[in-house]
Amino acid sequence: MEGDEILMQNIKNILSSYETEYIEDYKTVWIKTKLLKSGDLLEVAKALKENGLRTISTVSATDFLEENKIEMNYFFEDLLTKRNCWLKCDIPREIELCVIDSITPLFVGASWHEREVFSMFGVKFTNHPDLRPIIVSQDFYGKTPFRKDFDWDAHEADIVTNMNTIVDSFANEELENDKKLDPHGSEMILNWGPTHPASGPIRLKVHCDGEEVLGIDPDIGFVWRALEHLVTKKDFIGAIVAVERLCFMDNINSMVGYCQAVEEIAGVEITEFAKYMRVVLGEVARLSSHMMGMAGVYNALGLHTVMMWNMDMREFFLDFLESYSGARIATAAIEPGGVRYSLEPKMLEELQKALDKFDATKEDIRSIFVKNPTMKLRGAKIGIISADEVLDYALCGVVARASGVKTDIRIDEPYGAYANITMDYITQESGSAQDRMIQIFAEMEQSVDIIKQAKKHIEAKVASAEFDLTKDHMVKVPKKLPKGEAISRVEWARGEVLMHLVTAEKATSPYRLKLKAPSFNHTMMLNHLLEGKTLSDIPLIFGSLYICQGDLDR
Amino acid sequence: MDMIFNIVVFPGLLYVLLWTVALFWFFRKFMAALHKRVGPSFNGPAGSLQTLFDLSKLLTKESITPKGVNPYLFSIMPLLAATIAMLPTALIPWTPNLTVVSSQYALLGLVVLIGIEPFLLFLTGFGSDNKYSFLGGIRILTQMISMETSFFLAALSPALLFGTMNLNSIVEQSTWMSFWILFPGFLLYFVALLGLLEQPPFNIPDAEQEIVYGFYTEYSGTNYFLLKLAEFAEFMAVFAGAATLFLGGFRGLFFDNYFCLFIKMILIAIFMMTIRASTPRITMKQMLNFSWSYLVPLSLLNLAWIMLAKIFILGGVA
Repeated sequence: MEGDEILMQNIKNILSSYETEYIEDYKTVWIKTKLLKSGDLLEVAKALKENGLRTISTVSATDFLEENKIEMNYFFEDLLTKRNCWLKCDIPREIELCVIDSITPLFVGASWHEREVFSMFGVKFTNHPDLRPIIVSQDFYGKTPFRKDFDWDAHEADIVTNMNTIVDSFANEELENDKKLDPHGSEMILNWGPTHPASGPIRLKVHCDGEEVLGIDPDIGFVWRALEHLVTKKDFIGAIVAVERLCFMDNINSMVGYCQAVEEIAGVEITEFAKYMRVVLGEVARLSSHMMGMAGVYNALGLHTVMMWNMDMREFFLDFLESYSGARIATAAIEPGGVRYSLEPKMLEELQKALDKFDATKEDIRSIFVKNPTMKLRGAKIGIISADEVLDYALCGVVARASGVKTDIRIDEPYGAYANITMDYITQESGSAQDRMIQIFAEMEQSVDIIKQAKKHIEAKVASAEFDLTKDHMVKVPKKLPKGEAISRVEWARGEVLMHLVTAEKATSPYRLKLKAPSFNHTMMLNHLLEGKTLSDIPLIFGSLYICQGDLDR
Repeated sequence: MDMIFNIVVFPGLLYVLLWTVALFWFFRKFMAALHKRVGPSFNGPAGSLQTLFDLSKLLTKESITPKGVNPYLFSIMPLLAATIAMLPTALIPWTPNLTVVSSQYALLGLVVLIGIEPFLLFLTGFGSDNKYSFLGGIRILTQMISMETSFFLAALSPALLFGTMNLNSIVEQSTWMSFWILFPGFLLYFVALLGLLEQPPFNIPDAEQEIVYGFYTEYSGTNYFLLKLAEFAEFMAVFAGAATLFLGGFRGLFFDNYFCLFIKMILIAIFMMTIRASTPRITMKQMLNFSWSYLVPLSLLNLAWIMLAKIFILGGVA
């Protein structure tokens, strides 16, 4: 522990040489600080990077209309020694003055996050190499949809013009492509999506020469629901249904992250039983997501058997979720203050059935699909992500661990009952597409192990009457929350989800909720991974990055 | 009169249609079992009428011809593909007494008719004026060139062993001994068949995750139906070819008739489907490497083995 403290002290020393409003410890692994001068940002970021904080989790802006400022939040992380720094600074709100230095030249992983802030808040980043709007459709270009004074109704009212803007810009893009490409050459631009059999709602503009890929420019935002804006229109409990739609495949863990942030601001400690229930439900959701994720790698290669076999198992886990919450997919089962429903013993029987089914099937899947020789031929040498790239691009979850980086929020910054669970980092070595598929399977086994531990604990405590199933699941959280802010990180099925929640005084709904979701960073990698590869590698690499458009666009 | 029966009923048009409907249903049902699914189950016993309904639906739907293509080329290619794919049925000895065209060059006719089919599909892709179809067309041509070499070499090994290209006499001369001698040839034929029929792991030309459906992309309605018919007629020609050349055709353990041939064809289909359910797709480069570095040299070695076997096991040059 002492070594960690010295490392933390190093960060504080660096920060104290700049003008700051405060430097304080936040939770166990964070240092929170606010710079007085936004011009210092680049130097501070450089110093932090030299000190080992190489990863930028996300860049988030908060619009304070009354104070006439935009507050920038930078979340720097060190995935190796688990020290993190939450850096804030204010910039003016006027659109011409709303300018800050880009940290993308130092942290490549910040690129899309800064583009997102640019599209949503109109913050201009100087020296950003590629500051184009992202996520939003063309009718939002030059507007600032997430600012508090943006008039959504006026924007929606002009729907015909908006649609024409989008259609015209696609037509223009096609014309420009025709100009750019030699009509007699073999180069072309393929639209890989958004209605492609393997793409999902994302469009990769694939610039290719025959089968060879020259470059990829992902066009995202086809399922943009403005979730971060939507939650501010709901009360704190109503917001969970927006948060869980980050991606329905693992809906529980995203709700856990949001609820933890609310509980932190409200100052509420949930019961031990609720903590264990969050672990059980979260791991079941993780399993149901991983089963689809592993299948996704094989679907990309035209083999659907894995998906069907995994679906067969997944049904049993969904049966448990259904018996608990009444819904199979969008469960809305986690609420600020605990878990929504009480537990009945027969629900645990459903869970046991699912666990038995998994144990009965897993060896078949391992021998046929995890050790598949054709998969090895295809995936062992393709899509390789080195540990350095993981740190630079802020990759997380399955993708990071498949490259041998030991990062897992459940262990790094334990939440819920994970502190009492015996678990270890699972990693692979080479970080290839095949390794990511193997990693997903290994984590499925880990999840089942965690569920078994938690279930055993719950059953023991119920037997000794320490848990009261009928009323332990919830503690009261006030409807109105004080002014405050909190960040909460959870290990979601795809990796780190960071939620930054800001509340106003006597708030009944969130003032600002930033959702940092893993697929955004993973999609940022695509051009880097696919340049110079062939068309056949696109679906495999795309599938193995375990991308879900739900959390990509939000 | 016989001729008209042969063309319209067996082994002509109706038979191919029935085969297409039935095999399509069998593929779906068998694949469903491997997938732990149910498969089609509502229409008819065990869903057996489902594919008939599907095909009749396709027949009645509009065939959309994209803007900017030559409509004649676009629409005639599926028809041509279906017709050519059906022709090999005339050469196959279905029963001891029924071979529509019995010729001493039947084997040659069979491999040529099977061999030009991918070229027609390439033209469908070429005529679609679609980037994905074009890529699919290029892929199918590449695959055809590299897979057909070993396919032909493997298919000709029975001719070399028996000294005839007449399919009837190949069937008649086959014995258990010749089956084992031809077994390596059969394996090579089977692997090349997977490539020729675009089955996993060689389903590269119509890889939907990469290039949508390749040459199929722009086709719909009747034209799509004809292309599917061509595909299944091609299955039949290739399976029947394999059964005739290597597995003794219509000859069975206890009696000789059509059902012995049918069972052999279905066994090959089952084997193909099982590979389909457990093997992901490989890339173009890997396919080329596999074909030219392993499959073609092995096919040549196989010819040497047939010659040696003929001299030393079957006793001399015929």
